Amino acid sequence: MYQTHRIFAKPDMKMSDLIEENPRLLLLLEHFEIDFAVSDKTIAGICSENEISVSLFIMIVNLYNGFHPSKKDIDSLSDIIQILQFLKNSHDYYKNDKYPEIKGYIDKLPHNSYNKEVKLIENFFTDYFNEVLEHLDYEDEIAFPYFKMLTGAKDSKVMNDFSTDEYRNHHTDIETKLTDLKNLLLMHIKITDQLPLRRKLIFSLFEFEYDLQIHALIEEKILLPLIENIEKEKNHG
Amino acid sequence: MEPSDIIYEGLSNFLLRKESHYYIFRVKDLVELNDLIIKEKLEVIILNPSILINRIQEFNKLRKNSPSLIWIGLIYAVFENELLSRFDDLINLTDTSDVISARLNKTLEKCNCRNNEQEELSERETEVLVKLLSGFSNKEIADQLNISIHTVISHRKNIIEKTGIKSLPGLTIYAISQKIIPLD
Repeated sequence: MYQTHRIFAKPDMKMSDLIEENPRLLLLLEHFEIDFAVSDKTIAGICSENEISVSLFIMIVNLYNGFHPSKKDIDSLSDIIQILQFLKNSHDYYKNDKYPEIKGYIDKLPHNSYNKEVKLIENFFTDYFNEVLEHLDYEDEIAFPYFKMLTGAKDSKVMNDFSTDEYRNHHTDIETKLTDLKNLLLMHIKITDQLPLRRKLIFSLFEFEYDLQIHALIEEKILLPLIENIEKEKNHG
Repeated sequence: MEPSDIIYEGLSNFLLRKESHYYIFRVKDLVELNDLIIKEKLEVIILNPSILINRIQEFNKLRKNSPSLIWIGLIYAVFENELLSRFDDLINLTDTSDVISARLNKTLEKCNCRNNEQEELSERETEVLVKLLSGFSNKEIADQLNISIHTVISHRKNIIEKTGIKSLPGLTIYAISQKIIPLD
C-alpha cells in the first residue's frame, strides 16, 4: 500500500504520458525488458510489439499507480510465465543493481570514531540483504520452477514437496527491516556532514522499497491467487 | 472506505489537489482496513456508514484497538442517528471543498500535536527496550518490572510507534545511537 497516483491506465493511453505522471514506471518497463524510448506508442501498441499480455501489463502499471486489481481481472489472466519473468527480472535488479548501489553508498559513509554507528548500519544492511538474497534464491530455485511446472512448461525440474502454503509462509515481510534502515538514517543516526552522499543513499532506499512493495503485491495479489486456481483445478480434475 | 468509484476518485482527487499532503489508501471492507491499520500509521478513516450496517461489533473492536484513529462518515444517504453518532465527524456529499479540507485539517492538527509530544521514549518504555534487547521475553519483562504482559505489549507498541523501528537489530542500533545501551 502506498500513495495513489491519479491515472488509471487503459490500453489506448500513451506510455510517455504515463511515465510523465509516474517516472517509476521506467522500472516496470525495465522489468518487462521494454526499451525506454517509447515515442508516442500506446500501451496496446507496446504490448503487441513486445508480445506481452495487455491485461497483465495494465494491471501492473496500475499497481505502480496505486490501484489494486479486482478478483475478476486476476482470474481472467493466463500469463503466469510472463509474471514469473517479470519477477525474475526484478530479482536481478535487486541483486545486481540496487544492492551494489546501496552498499557502495554505505561504504563511503565516514567510518571513524565520531561516527561509530556507521559500522552498525553497515552490518545491519549486510545481514538484511543476506535475508533478501535467501528469499530471492528460494523463489528462483524452488517456488518459480514449481509454478512453471504447474503451467505445463516442459523444461522444469521440480521438488515434489512444494506447496503454496509453504510459499506463503516463506514469503515473509522483508520490507520491515528496510523501513527500519530508512528510519534510522532519517530520524536517529547522527552522521557528520556528507549530505549529498546520504541523500543518494536514502533516495536509493526509497526506490528499493517502492519496487519491493510492488513486487510483494504482484506475488500476493496476482501470482498466488492464479497458482491456487490451477492447484484447485488439478486437485478436482 | 467507499464502494462508489466516482465518489472515491472525486474525493481523493480533491484531497490530493489541496495544499496539504495526504496519503490516501482505499480498502473494500473492515478486514482489509484492519490489515491496513496494522501496516500503516493511519490518522483519519473516511467511510461510508452503509459499510457498518450489521458490522457494528467489528467496528467497535477496531475503534477500541486503535483509539487514536479519527472516523469520519461520508454521508449521501439517510442513516439512523444512532449509527451516525458513532463517528467523530461527518462529511456530506454536498459539502464544498473548503468545508471538507477545513474539517480534515482540524482533526489532523489534533493528531499531529499528539504525535510530536510523544516522540521521546518514557522512562518505563526505555526500561522495557533495554530488557527486550537483552533477550528477555514479554513474560520475563513483565515479571521483572512487576507489570502485566498486556502492559509490556503496549509499551512495545509505543516504542515501535515512537521510533519508527520494528526489528530488534534496528532497535539495537537505535538504542546505541541514543546512548541507551553502550556500544559493544
